[in-house]
Amino acid sequence: MEKIILPDIPDLNKLDVYIANGGFQAAKKALQMEPSEVIDIVKKSSLRGRGGAGFFTGLKWSFMPKVKTKPHYLCVNGDESEPGSFKDRQIFEKNPHQLIEGIIIAAHAIQAQTVYIYIRGEYYRWIQMLQAALDENYERGHLGEKMKQTFNTDFYCDVYIHRGAGAYICGEESALMNSIEGKRGYPRVKPPFPAQNGLWGNPTTINNVETITNVPKIIANGWEWFASIGAPKHPGTLLFGVSGHVNKPGVYELPTGTLLTDIIYNYAGGVPGNKKIKCVIPGGSSMPPLRGDQLEGIKMDADSLREAGSAIGTGGIMVMDEDTNLLDVLVRISHFYHHESCGQCTPCREGTGWMEKILRRIQSGQGTSKDLDLLVDVASNIEGRTVCALGDAAAWPVKFMITRFRDEFEKYVKKEVVIPVKNKIHSMKYTTYSVENIKLPESTKP
Amino acid sequence: MPKITIDGKELEFKEGQTVIEVASENGIYIPHFCWHPELSISGNCRMCLTEIEKIPKLAIACSTYATDGMVVKTQSESVVKAREAVMEFILINHPLDCPICDEAGECKLQDYAFRYSRGESRMLEEKQHKPKRVPLGPRVMYDAERCIMCSRCIRFADEVAKNPQLTFIQRGDRTFVSVFPDEEFDDPYSMNTVDICPVGALTSRDFRFKSRVWEMSNTPSVCIGCSRGCNVNVWVRDNVIQRLTPRENPDVNKYWMCDFGRTKTFKFVNAETRVDGPFIKENNELVKSNWEEALNLTAKRLKKFKPDETAFVASAFATVEDNHSFALLAKLLNAKYYSYFSYVIPGSGDDILITEDKAPNALGAELVKFKANGVSNDLDEIFEKIKLGEIKAVYILEQAHDFDSYMLDALAKAEFVAVHATNFNRLTEFADVVFPASSFAEKHGSFLNVDGILQRIKPAVATVELDRALDGLAQSRWDKFGTKFDRWAQGKKYDAEPSWKIISALAAKLGKPFNFSTSEEVLIDLTSKNSAFRNLDYNEIGGTGIKIIERKFSEEEKI
Ligand SMILES: Cc1cc2nc3c(=O)[nH]c(=O)nc-3n(C[C@H](O)[C@H](O)[C@H](O)COP(=O)(O)O)c2cc1C
Ligand code: SF4
Ligand code: SF4
Ligand code: SF4
Repeated sequence: MEKIILPDIPDLNKLDVYIANGGFQAAKKALQMEPSEVIDIVKKSSLRGRGGAGFFTGLKWSFMPKVKTKPHYLCVNGDESEPGSFKDRQIFEKNPHQLIEGIIIAAHAIQAQTVYIYIRGEYYRWIQMLQAALDENYERGHLGEKMKQTFNTDFYCDVYIHRGAGAYICGEESALMNSIEGKRGYPRVKPPFPAQNGLWGNPTTINNVETITNVPKIIANGWEWFASIGAPKHPGTLLFGVSGHVNKPGVYELPTGTLLTDIIYNYAGGVPGNKKIKCVIPGGSSMPPLRGDQLEGIKMDADSLREAGSAIGTGGIMVMDEDTNLLDVLVRISHFYHHESCGQCTPCREGTGWMEKILRRIQSGQGTSKDLDLLVDVASNIEGRTVCALGDAAAWPVKFMITRFRDEFEKYVKKEVVIPVKNKIHSMKYTTYSVENIKLPESTKP
Repeated sequence: MPKITIDGKELEFKEGQTVIEVASENGIYIPHFCWHPELSISGNCRMCLTEIEKIPKLAIACSTYATDGMVVKTQSESVVKAREAVMEFILINHPLDCPICDEAGECKLQDYAFRYSRGESRMLEEKQHKPKRVPLGPRVMYDAERCIMCSRCIRFADEVAKNPQLTFIQRGDRTFVSVFPDEEFDDPYSMNTVDICPVGALTSRDFRFKSRVWEMSNTPSVCIGCSRGCNVNVWVRDNVIQRLTPRENPDVNKYWMCDFGRTKTFKFVNAETRVDGPFIKENNELVKSNWEEALNLTAKRLKKFKPDETAFVASAFATVEDNHSFALLAKLLNAKYYSYFSYVIPGSGDDILITEDKAPNALGAELVKFKANGVSNDLDEIFEKIKLGEIKAVYILEQAHDFDSYMLDALAKAEFVAVHATNFNRLTEFADVVFPASSFAEKHGSFLNVDGILQRIKPAVATVELDRALDGLAQSRWDKFGTKFDRWAQGKKYDAEPSWKIISALAAKLGKPFNFSTSEEVLIDLTSKNSAFRNLDYNEIGGTGIKIIERKFSEEEKI
């Protein structure tokens, strides 16, 4: 199978090698087209975002104003902070020029003259690699004002790398924009959407690194070619980052719709010691986990995974064998979202900490089966009620881990525990305790 | 006009209005913490979740724009459940220290816990602990455990005060509000954050632990700190003013007031320097007298001077009514000199509320001053003539700020000086008679603000002449239910009267009574004499004032 994002070409990260393999021909072609033509091709290709939500990229671009009255911006999202996700890093390292070429085409399509690539600060080495690649392309006249001559067009754009300072939430597109603006990484309330009101109030498009890296090949080979790869409604290839209990963890580029079991057993070399799989999280830590005994036939594309009760997310596949303590896993995941909640909105700010506390209590042997119900209820009270999707990301693992592995979680809890609690009631109005059941000490009776 | 249906009621709305705005305009209350009509939308508290047809998830009413045909439910089962959940989330880490919290009694969180919460906490774990008693600035104290992170205070500083001194720091349930390193929250409007904070996270350092909210009576009035005339509530316990808070008036101060007005404009009412009963000068000392004696003495002395030997100095601190009766007195005595003293500090205003004119009623004093042929209204000329000994008797209405020393030097030359004063100050040292004037908090009256809006003040503090119950002052629980033996229900009452009343009594002593028995009658007297006041009475002025300077009259209405 031909690889789109990470082809097996030695030294492709070198600009000359990239050019020798047809690099920047797509940019040349696209820059001679009308922006709307480029958008049309991407639309027809059915390319969907690789940043988690799987939104149609061409459609997203078409939301940008056709007539430019304010500056337009393109933000390329390389924050890659979701646990289990480590694919964009490969692009920075192995194929940076295709990303840059994709940026040129996308920027032209949405008429953005300024592009920010937002990369998590921990990726310091990869930031250096990408910066070197950018510098080289500036020198060759692929970026900046010189583009006009090189590509014989009126359009040019500048590209800047913006380093994140260590917050997962800054990968959320509106928090990312606030972060670039120098503000606190708080997601914005939508509407307004970025295409109307993004960076500094101007029309902005945000796309994932992998999404953009697909674009040059779509322009070069045509949308029909792209649309024919993999699952029809979610075509192309995906970078699957496989981690956990597999013999060969790593990033595998495979067509969408590849069987999950195929990825685990054929590509990632199966489970060490031939153990059974207990649980798989198919798309990064925030996606609903799947039971190991129900993996048969599950295909890795957006629609198939939704049917299977999960989501494609960022394609980070985490495999857990039969000896895994799922409570420990859930505590770790919940700790992450508690730690990373930006604290802006009530359900996520308060709920993530509460869930972690309950889980840690269960871990310490002080949990009951009621606590499992409580966890599911708290998660449901967060889900869908928050400013950004981090709320859902924190809620789903808890909700689905417990409901799908209830049998296992029941083993971690007791029938009854005695926990001294003070001040349990803060208003008498709707209390579920009847007043008779509240025993007051003799002396306070009137 | 487009229409939206909220809880089964079909309502018209204007393009660009949000669901919560349409609802609140139409008396449908959607509970909310972070939304405030004068601040940007932040959508963080999630309390205003509502069910909207065709939107799959619950939507927040504060950021959802009304569209034609939209159907909104604010009471459906899923909405009620969602609200209970939000309340539960807020309460799990809330310290619930209501018994010692200043906000108790006027706290959104308390009210909502009563109305929208399940009442039982399912959290068994230790609550999140955060900094308490943090002075954010000289006037505002912060308790991070009580804070619900609604960001109202931060948005107020950014958007209204235009002074971004506050920010959140930390993340998640460790978040709290803070100032930047080595800075403090000292904005001249900082204390408005105390009012808009929906909980007791921000408290006024001036008011902290002074009183429970329900122990105070609450009277609508107007701030006297400058000519803006911000609408306020005067909160009284033990017959002492405990605090002022801003009162909503879209045309004057919206929801705000400045920190100076809030903390520096009422303490004189109960200061030790307060004039308690009339004083007259004997052997160069002011000694306590009584009304009869002081009035007789003043009438007798005033009669002795010729009109061109008498000057009247009115006041931008006194009400329109006080100034009008003062002008009537000047007319009665045919005075040839009449002016008023105003107190302007150039450059001291801003483009938010604070004005350069530090008195509440300069425009009113100007509008009702005594004008006639041969009468000089020139204050400088008056003091020049006092200094030269040409003007021998001077009658001065309430002055809150000291006169310049050249004026005081001049007054030393006068043969007779009568002063109405709330407090002893340098001016009263030069007086032969000091009449105890009721303060703005002890009388009815009206002030004309910088924009020509006439606004009412009402008594909040009882005086000897003014009984809390009989004269219809606002009463707190303690005022109503306390007995004679309860110290708090009594409080100190000063023997003071409003200036218009003192002047009327003096006119009677001069043989020409004015026959005013209430402040409102003084105003009504003005309606036939000054076209700006046409057709006015206290009812017409109402709770939020009436613009009279630009008021247009039809032909027949004109006098
Ligand atoms: C909490 C949170 C974290 C996210 N982190 C990332 C990220 O690290 N990288 C990314 O590409 N998208 C991330 N996203 C998704 C972005 O908001 C956005 O949908 C995406 O960048 C759009 O690009 P696409 O359409 O190309 O997928 C995150 C979303 C949420 C809610
Ligand atoms: S859901 Fe969580 S991360 Fe997102 S805005 Fe709310 S508090 Fe912040
Ligand atoms: S201090 Fe008060 S106003 Fe400010 S964020 Fe906290 S709760 Fe809101
Ligand atoms: S602006 Fe003027 S009127 Fe308003 S509160 Fe301040 S001093 Fe009082």
